[in-house]
Amino acid sequence: MRGLLIGFGILLLVGGLGVGIWYYLDEKAEVRIKGMIGSEKSSFLENEQVKAILKKKYGIVVDYVRAGSIEMVSEETKADIDFLWPSSQVALEIFKIKQGDKIVRSENIFNSPIVIYSWDIIVNALVKTGIVKKELSTYYVTDMPGMLKMIREGKKWSDIGITQLYGKISVTTTDPTKSNSGNMFAGLIANILKGGDVIVESDLPQVLPELKEFFARQGFMQNTSGVLFEQFLKTGVGQYPLMGGYESQVVEFSRMHQDFWPKVKNQIKILYPVPTVWSEHPLIIVNKKAAVLVDALKDEDIQRIAWEQHGFRTGLMGVQNDPKILLADGVPASVTRIIPMPRAAVMEKIIEALTDGK
Amino acid sequence: MKTQLLPATMKNLPYILVAALIIVSLNSCKKKPQDFTILSGSENLPLEKIVTDFAKKEDFQVKFKYEGSVDIMLELQKNSLKYDAVWPASGIWITLGDQERKVRYAQSIMTSPVVFGIKKSLAKKLGFVGRDIKVSEILKAIREKKLRFMMTSASQSNSGASAYIGFLYAFLGHPEYISSDDLDKPELKKEITDLLAGINRSSGSSAWLKDLYLKGGYDAMVNYEALMIEANQELIRNGKEPLYIIYPTDGMVIADSQLGYIDGGNIKKEDFFKKLQAHLLSEDIQHQLLLLGRRTGFAGELENAPAVVFNPDWGIDPKKILSPIKLPRADVILKALNLYQTVFRKPSLTLFCLDYSGSMMGGNIDQVKKSMEILLDQDLARTYFLQSSPNDITFVIPFAGTILDAWQVAGNNQPDMLSMLAKIRKTKTNGATDIYSPAILALEQIKMIDSVKYITAIILMTDGESNTGKKFADLEEAWKKNARDVPVFLIKFGDASDAQLAQIAELTNGAVFDGRKDLIGAFRKVKGYN
Repeated sequence: MRGLLIGFGILLLVGGLGVGIWYYLDEKAEVRIKGMIGSEKSSFLENEQVKAILKKKYGIVVDYVRAGSIEMVSEETKADIDFLWPSSQVALEIFKIKQGDKIVRSENIFNSPIVIYSWDIIVNALVKTGIVKKELSTYYVTDMPGMLKMIREGKKWSDIGITQLYGKISVTTTDPTKSNSGNMFAGLIANILKGGDVIVESDLPQVLPELKEFFARQGFMQNTSGVLFEQFLKTGVGQYPLMGGYESQVVEFSRMHQDFWPKVKNQIKILYPVPTVWSEHPLIIVNKKAAVLVDALKDEDIQRIAWEQHGFRTGLMGVQNDPKILLADGVPASVTRIIPMPRAAVMEKIIEALTDGK
Repeated sequence: MKTQLLPATMKNLPYILVAALIIVSLNSCKKKPQDFTILSGSENLPLEKIVTDFAKKEDFQVKFKYEGSVDIMLELQKNSLKYDAVWPASGIWITLGDQERKVRYAQSIMTSPVVFGIKKSLAKKLGFVGRDIKVSEILKAIREKKLRFMMTSASQSNSGASAYIGFLYAFLGHPEYISSDDLDKPELKKEITDLLAGINRSSGSSAWLKDLYLKGGYDAMVNYEALMIEANQELIRNGKEPLYIIYPTDGMVIADSQLGYIDGGNIKKEDFFKKLQAHLLSEDIQHQLLLLGRRTGFAGELENAPAVVFNPDWGIDPKKILSPIKLPRADVILKALNLYQTVFRKPSLTLFCLDYSGSMMGGNIDQVKKSMEILLDQDLARTYFLQSSPNDITFVIPFAGTILDAWQVAGNNQPDMLSMLAKIRKTKTNGATDIYSPAILALEQIKMIDSVKYITAIILMTDGESNTGKKFADLEEAWKKNARDVPVFLIKFGDASDAQLAQIAELTNGAVFDGRKDLIGAFRKVKGYN
């Protein structure tokens, strides 16, 4: 009996030691890197499959904090941050202007167009006004100037036949001075106010007043697109009749709530502005040890998961962005009517003007 | 055999000890659950059990710290790392408070609109039943003195702030958005001041306001739909008249109850948080929340809402789309809260009774002095939205076995406040305890003031059992004779008698606050009640 106990004791000790060594070695093989990311990519980074590929194939464990894309590139990057992953090329350009010397490497990983989320009763009314048209199974805001005109003139929801809703027509976005989706929306609207042309600095005096008014009318604005989308879904058509966001958000939501999705599928509509802008997701490496993340995120399996489960379009060779495998309806195979964002210097002026308005 | 075994055992003794140690330490890890503190709005009180039951299974001990939403915002700005998670009534307070971006994974657990509840017979009399009501109609009833209502302090609590913003929109003629300049309009000041004068009771917490309503004698309150449902269920159980719920078409705000993790770098806690959040969002718990009167599910729809909870007789229409107003920009909200505190709100008449008995000597009285400094020094008070207005009146009555003195400041003049503070600091501790005499004196002071114009409160802080002087019966007589609804809020400190304090709270529709862990916090919270 005593012998057994002793044996057990030794076994425990050896076992414990073994586990310790295993842990130690395992830790060694890992690179832990920390970054700041746009909130819309957090579920992707939380995806167990993605985590497993990053860890097993590339030895990376990613830790992150969520931040608005514009905020993260504008403020001084803290010492413990290894990479930034904002949601637009503009953010990268701003970072280059402000702290360009910190960049070790940067590369675009994903794309997602800016869309307007809405609800069946709203879209039906907008189709009647001729502002929205359905082509195949996708809804397009073919008359963006017309939509802006309604907003400018202070038309109420009841004026287009939606008597259940209080207040005037508006599109809710995130704060364009802090978060990317709102910022891109500002760039898109500025272009449309210019008559569908990419605005340059000399156009600003002409478009700024209306642009300021467009955002002032929203009142309180969220700082991150993830929170805004979540609220859109929770509170429904009354609180957010029209909401600017990324196409990827609905793809991800429908995947993550598969039991629930069929119940709301027919109510939630995606509107593609014509033209719209691409949100690109450039990965900015500021610490050499994180450079391995660039290749890791371009891994074919990761890119496939990114599209199928999180809705990020990839555009890489061999990876199909096939909407048929998605649960969300009305997502087109490709988005072709695109306008470039204004240059970063112009966007900075716009951000400044919208901040001044406060 | 024996002789052989013994040395072997001796040799192996260190290993056995180590092994035993490992086992013991593993066991002790199991036995002591890890603490996890949630900074939460008081409306989540009925959900505490759902959370703690789940936590037990995960070997965590969850503690709720209940604060008003505005205080939650301030705590996030100042001491976010004291907490592991944050759960205010509305995510807006996380957005405003989380400047360091410590909050992660914030998600809405449920929603509930901020609404008016009016005693059904009165709602009928006012013609408010069965049709859409605008804020202006409610305001008209208040102006004509047909309706008086209770509302939490807009500068402390989300439900009060939401209703207040709804009023601002109405008075400004429903602009598309409220600008900073709008708030300076003189006609706004007049109207909103008149309206807030119709408030007969205020508080820093929505749950407490509901409890107070249940004590009877009140006609209407502003609160969450969920708390109206809770109140009505209890009113019906007690054979009393329910509240009829009004959703002002042009002044309603939805609270979205976001629960977020505060990242203090503890992986275990983070993991637990994610599980907890997933649990709260699971179908089963979401259904339980629905039964508790919270709106769950997506798209703002009330699916399978049981009629006993979302009762149409109480004015609830599960099919109706809730169309809220837009909240103003962050800076405008903060300016509006400051204006509420300093200009618009009904003035406060506050009477502090402070215990200077012998046992308060040393660190205890120092904490009281520090607390009073935060409330009286207007520069400090401002950082908590607790500054006084020019129309406020503040009394301080220091007591021990007898009343030691009484001081008064009318208004918010900083030198006056500081000179009263100097007196508070100078007074020495000594002697026995009589908590009833100062409360009676406070009531006598109130009698000399036209107290209808004020939200009145007596705040009595004590650390001991009343052992000399007047008795409870004396206070009871004085309070009843006074015939005004003056609450005595009690801050318990040291060895104060629970029974004595509870008795006073019960008599006066007041409440007891525990100041033993955080006296300064307790003073701040109490001040939020008027």
